[in-house]
Amino acid sequence: MTLTLNNNGQSKKAILITSLIFMGAAHILFFKQYIKGAFFALVQIAMLACLPIIIPAIRGLITLGEHQPDLPVRFRDHSMFMLIDGVAILAVVGIFFCVYFISVKSAQKTYRDFCENGRLSSNKASIKEVFNQSFAIFGLAPSVLLVIFFVVVPLVFAALVAFTNYSSPHHIPPGNTVDWVGMDNFVSLFGGHAVWTTALASIAVWTLGWAAAATITCYFGGMIMAVIMKDFKIKFAPIFRSIFILPYAVPAVISMLVWRNLLNGHFGAVNRTLQHFGIVDGMIPWLGTEAMVRFTVVMVNLWAGFPYFMLLTMGTMTAINQDLFEAARIDGASRWRLFRHITFPLVTYQTMPLIIMSFTHNINNFGAIFFLTGGQPAVAHSPISGATGADILITWIFRLTMELLQYHYASVLAVMIFMILAPFAIAIFIRTKSFREGEL
Amino acid sequence: MTNFTRKLNLVIVMIFLVIISLVVLYPLVYVLSAAFSPGTSIATLSIAPFADGFTLDHFRFLFFESNYPIWFRNTLFVAVTTSLGTVAIASVGAYVFSRFRFAFKKGMLLSMLILQIFPSFVGMIAIYVILLRLGLFDSLWGLILVYLAMNIPFNTWLVKSYIDTIPRSMDEAARIDGASHFRTYLTIILPIAKPIIVFLAITSFVAPWMDFIFPNLLLRSPSNQTLALGLFTFVLDDTRNEFTRFAAGAVTVAIPFIIAFVMTQKMLLATLGGAVKE
Repeated sequence: MTLTLNNNGQSKKAILITSLIFMGAAHILFFKQYIKGAFFALVQIAMLACLPIIIPAIRGLITLGEHQPDLPVRFRDHSMFMLIDGVAILAVVGIFFCVYFISVKSAQKTYRDFCENGRLSSNKASIKEVFNQSFAIFGLAPSVLLVIFFVVVPLVFAALVAFTNYSSPHHIPPGNTVDWVGMDNFVSLFGGHAVWTTALASIAVWTLGWAAAATITCYFGGMIMAVIMKDFKIKFAPIFRSIFILPYAVPAVISMLVWRNLLNGHFGAVNRTLQHFGIVDGMIPWLGTEAMVRFTVVMVNLWAGFPYFMLLTMGTMTAINQDLFEAARIDGASRWRLFRHITFPLVTYQTMPLIIMSFTHNINNFGAIFFLTGGQPAVAHSPISGATGADILITWIFRLTMELLQYHYASVLAVMIFMILAPFAIAIFIRTKSFREGEL
Repeated sequence: MTNFTRKLNLVIVMIFLVIISLVVLYPLVYVLSAAFSPGTSIATLSIAPFADGFTLDHFRFLFFESNYPIWFRNTLFVAVTTSLGTVAIASVGAYVFSRFRFAFKKGMLLSMLILQIFPSFVGMIAIYVILLRLGLFDSLWGLILVYLAMNIPFNTWLVKSYIDTIPRSMDEAARIDGASHFRTYLTIILPIAKPIIVFLAITSFVAPWMDFIFPNLLLRSPSNQTLALGLFTFVLDDTRNEFTRFAAGAVTVAIPFIIAFVMTQKMLLATLGGAVKE
């Protein structure tokens, strides 16, 4: 059965309504696009068939389960499973509405083409079209599904937990249920609870300080090495270069664990060496006090991180026009002035995006902090917050989750990190060539 | 500047470079020497490298008395599968993003960029439950799925930027000759994009070797342990300080890494630089 269409745009409303009522209906009834229509219709039927699963899951997401103290533990509502199932089902519903949107758009586009050409495209052409589009669909489906269910759903879950009281000891399923508590966690972390607020303030400031210090030291460290080796025309430069890139080649986790043992305050080889040569009398607590550990992590990170920027500067410097140097030298500029006014600004301008990326990477540099410092040193707020003097937000999240089971606070921190980092990502996105050229 | 001050400057710079070289080499030489030194704790090692004698005991222990062969086999399996999977999924996805126009494209690209800066273990509780539901908890396949999902956002971007630089006229010519999209992708795009594909294969192969967080969360049984899990137990626990055994294991992993790195460093930097500029 094919309904007749006006090719002067009068059937636009009919198409819109048909495609809205049931997915694929317009394709089958008006356009004879049976394959495409059947695909859309199948999606809609599957969705309707799943309603008995979807509705309870969404109800579960809203209630997070009832208190059932009289039931045995394994029959009680498990709030966290309900939360995750709810989010996953919401993702499925989201995908459904995207397909729905696409089906309506597709019906309208087909009708526009019909009005322009005065006839429907031949069956053969439309099958070829479907075949082409199916490559895009099957090509993207694995990426989209994996990312949605293993990245997006977990992150949305983490964000939602920030608005619940999911924490030890009173709200851990399956023994107890978890409830929505609105902004309570944000309130206690941002001023409501003295110890937690102090801990958060000091760790947040240190996270930014750490990221800035780590990025700047590595950047200048690497640049100085590159400039010196080029500028002084050092003999054996290739040998030095091969030595200097070694820290970049060794897996960072291994270097951090090795440094942690070398810097051990009691028996570490560094302290014993310094003592042997009479440089120090006692043992230096490299990882033992808040100030020392913060100094140490930046230094060890410099050891691990300068080779990257050294290589980067070397690459960028070769692109600088040598005439600039020649002209400046004729004018009598010193070596320092050449660096200050030519090399430094040009290299920095070129590598700025990478410096920014390195900064965002350092905000989340879990390995450098966690594996180097272990669980020390304790500070005033440690007994309650579980954080050490070296912890940045991301390692604190790890401790709150794995050791203290304070999931609600860990989630608040995750939301905070998101707020700090999302603008950087958007800035990078807007800078990209394809965005600026309007190809998207 | 006189000849003398120039020479003096050069000597100072040389001394500076030698000192830095010593600092850079010190931990690496020390761990190499520890791998061949008798004893287990770092406390009993002499401060000078290679001064305690020479033994292969730690390697013998790893290969014949510990589960090292199992850890190695598991890690190799995870690394190879993750690498192949990432290349396949990310490159096809990148081709679609580069050559097709479709609804939600802009939103998808932006969200991939945002997701990529976010460490995925923030959602580890949910990942744990999802794998439990799928029956993939304590399974290497579960770990592989998580790695694939983590790799996709950034790498799709990377490959997409690269494919964007390939002139459209090349694949349009093939399309006019009647080649399907799959054929165009396979015979035109993939060969040109080979450098970025190799880079992608190497980086996604390398990452699983030293990841500790996800194996620690998702794998339980001894037969499913990975290298990082196994080796770190030698040193993470302060009561069990078996530094030399850890050193021996670390050496077996780090040396192939260093060789691979030195071979690919130029490409690595070119790719990192290019990814941002595009």
